[in-house]
Amino acid sequence: MAGIDTGGGHGGKRALNQEVPLIPFIDFLLCLVMFLLVTAVWSQMARINANAQVPGPPQDEPLEKQEKPKTLHVEARGDRKFQLIWKEGSTVINTIDVERKKVNVGNDYRYPDLAAKIKSEWEANGTHRNKTDPKLDQAVLSTDNSTPFADVIAVIDAIYTPKREMTMGNTTELVPAFNVSFSMN
Amino acid sequence: MSGDKPLSRFHQPIAVPGRRLLHHIKLGFVRKKVVGGGGRSLNQEVPLIPFIDFLLCIVLFLLASFSATGELPLDKNVKLPNAENVIDMVEAPMVAVTGTQILVDGVPAGNTRQIEDAHEKRIQRIDELFQMLKAKRELWRTLKPDKPFPGVVILQVSKEVPALVVKSVFQTAALAGYPNVSFMVGRLGEEEGK
Repeated sequence: MAGIDTGGGHGGKRALNQEVPLIPFIDFLLCLVMFLLVTAVWSQMARINANAQVPGPPQDEPLEKQEKPKTLHVEARGDRKFQLIWKEGSTVINTIDVERKKVNVGNDYRYPDLAAKIKSEWEANGTHRNKTDPKLDQAVLSTDNSTPFADVIAVIDAIYTPKREMTMGNTTELVPAFNVSFSMN
Repeated sequence: MSGDKPLSRFHQPIAVPGRRLLHHIKLGFVRKKVVGGGGRSLNQEVPLIPFIDFLLCIVLFLLASFSATGELPLDKNVKLPNAENVIDMVEAPMVAVTGTQILVDGVPAGNTRQIEDAHEKRIQRIDELFQMLKAKRELWRTLKPDKPFPGVVILQVSKEVPALVVKSVFQTAALAGYPNVSFMVGRLGEEEGK
């Protein structure tokens, strides 16, 4: 058993040796382990973000001088293809068609081709790619009203595939390159 | 004296019984080896120190993964989709859409039938949900007047729910003052997703 041996104890003097009480310590640790195991949350739940485009406070700059941000519109209508449309305001800059190819992953499915195309498009045309830029590029998702939610999540997941570094204060984090919102029409 | 004559067994002096086994072996060291003397002691020390180290490691791991907020309230009827590019959960009002029912933190807040059964399929504001979320926002502002309102709401939506319902709930939440909408999903392992 663990103890502290300082020698001594000779010549009628009290020995200074001490035994560390390990058994109550082990009991305490076991109780702690039991408590933590019982209260542990083993959930694998996470969230995927979407942002409603709420107008900010009015700006002093006249409307025509304000810079129109470049946005990527992801059209997930029909079951044959996706359409990626780069727009500046209401002006269409570029349109790309991507084949709608599902890849099953367990009970769900993914769109790896769409994810790869969105990544290459962002690398070529993304506006906010600098580390110190606090803004993200905007992606707008348009779907049919009858599209199941699982399909919506698979497309949002593909949009979040490209990542970039963002410096906030002293720390640099890897964040999704796009901010997703829904087209409401 | 009758010293040559051995005493009967009833008259022998009482003596501590000694080892009798193999006592006929004359050489002491041979006898000791034969009977197993000088062997390893059978006493065993339980190695407590590594055991304590192991327990401490478990305690530290469990403490690091301990969540004081408790289990996430997940409606048992909701079948969530999975996604790869996800972020960790935060504490926020939870809106569950299961079948035709809408629940806010487990409390009924309208249903989706009015949207699905409408003649014209268009995005609608769900009044009951709107009122409940608005009340929650006002309560938060009353309780924490000095902190900015985060405006985060988490939607638990079943896989099969149509996008029309999702967009209606999304828009209702945004109108009620929650522009940061998150969808609750299962975490898909990276190796699984490849």
